[in-house]
Formats: sequence, structure tokens, C-alpha cells
Amino acid sequence: MVRLFRKERVMRISLAVPLLSILTGLPAHAQGNAEAAKGKNSTCIGCHGIPMYKTAFPEVYSVPMIAGQAPDYIVKALQAYRAGDRSHPSMQGVAKSLSDQDMADLAAYYGGAGKAVK
Amino acid sequence: MSRFLILALACFSAQAFAAGDADSGKLKSMACAACHGPDGNSPTSPDFPRLAGQHYDYLLKSLRDYKSGARKNAIMGGQVGGLNSQDMADLAAYYSSRKGSLGVIR
Repeated sequence: MVRLFRKERVMRISLAVPLLSILTGLPAHAQGNAEAAKGKNSTCIGCHGIPMYKTAFPEVYSVPMIAGQAPDYIVKALQAYRAGDRSHPSMQGVAKSLSDQDMADLAAYYGGAGKAVK
Repeated sequence: MSRFLILALACFSAQAFAAGDADSGKLKSMACAACHGPDGNSPTSPDFPRLAGQHYDYLLKSLRDYKSGARKNAIMGGQVGGLNSQDMADLAAYYSSRKGSLGVIR
């Protein structure tokens, strides 16, 4: 009886979490805090903080501008590097060192920086 | 001999970096607009990147990487299938020439 009760409770909670997310309109992923990103973006600055900076390895091309990019896209890009779906060695290394919360914070910081961010 | 080398190098460079034409790129951008917005600056979902004003060589590399499989994405992998090198250069030229809200901060 106790065991049954517990199982039911777990089920209720597992149903309640996504339901709450739907009702409140909050996304299920981590909420980013732009302020918190300021202690986490020292690695980013070395390339993305320099106008017209070019990466030299594995090939030469301009490092993309990320300030003003959609925050959700920035998270997707970091996740893709972490998963190996995007191939830049430095970015793969950086992404693997970041937690989901770090990614959300950095996305909020850079995504909130543009002139016309939705 | 050195003249020949310079000429050969010039031909090779022209081949390797086919300059994109923004006007042609605009004509080829109909499919892109469905997700990235008509000017590349108003994506229809926050999951999709803004392209307007992004660096030409980065946009071109992205398209090439989708084509080669170095960058994996279900939507873009399908989209680049029908694009040749000139198409990719033209699209990169078009979007990099648009005014956008992308920039650099520290």
C-alpha cells in the first residue's frame, strides 16, 4: 500500500512538471541570466569580442558575430558543438566545458545585446 | 616562369573563392526566407539564426559545412543539397550585405 502510494506520487510529480511548464508558458530548458554570464565569457571574448577577428585553425575565416543573435539559437549552436554535430575543435572544447545553465546564461548575455532582439 | 606562376596562382584563387553576387543571391533566397525571414534578420523561430550582416566567409563556410556534413542539421542538410558553389557564394554575399542587428560585444 505504501509502495503503491509512492509510485502514484512520483507519477503525479512527473506529470505535473511538464504541465506546469505548459501552464506558465516557461520553456523546459534552463533560464538564462545575462548578469551571471559576465563571469563566464572570458573564453568567448578572445575571439567573439574582437571585431573582424579571423580564426586560423582549422581554416581561415571570420569568427561569427554573436551579439544580437537569437538566444535559443546560441544555445542550439553550443549544444551542437558539445554533441559533435558542428566541427570546430576550439568550440567543441569550449562547449564541453559548459553546463546547460552556463549556455543559457551566455545566450541571454549575447542574445540580449543586439539592437533589435526579440 | 614567375609570371606564369603568378597567373596560375591568380586563376587558382579565383576558382577557390568564387566571388558571390548579392543580387543573384537575393533571387536564390526564397527558400531561406521561409525560416530566416525575408531579409535574414527576422527568423520565424528563435531557434533559427539571424543572417543579415553576418560575415561573408562565415556564412559561406556554414553552407559548405552543411553540404559536406561537417555541420549536421536536419533542415539545413536538406536545403543545401541543391546548391552549387556559386549559389552558396551568392547567398552568402546577399545576406552579408544586408543591414542587421548582429554585432560584437566583449
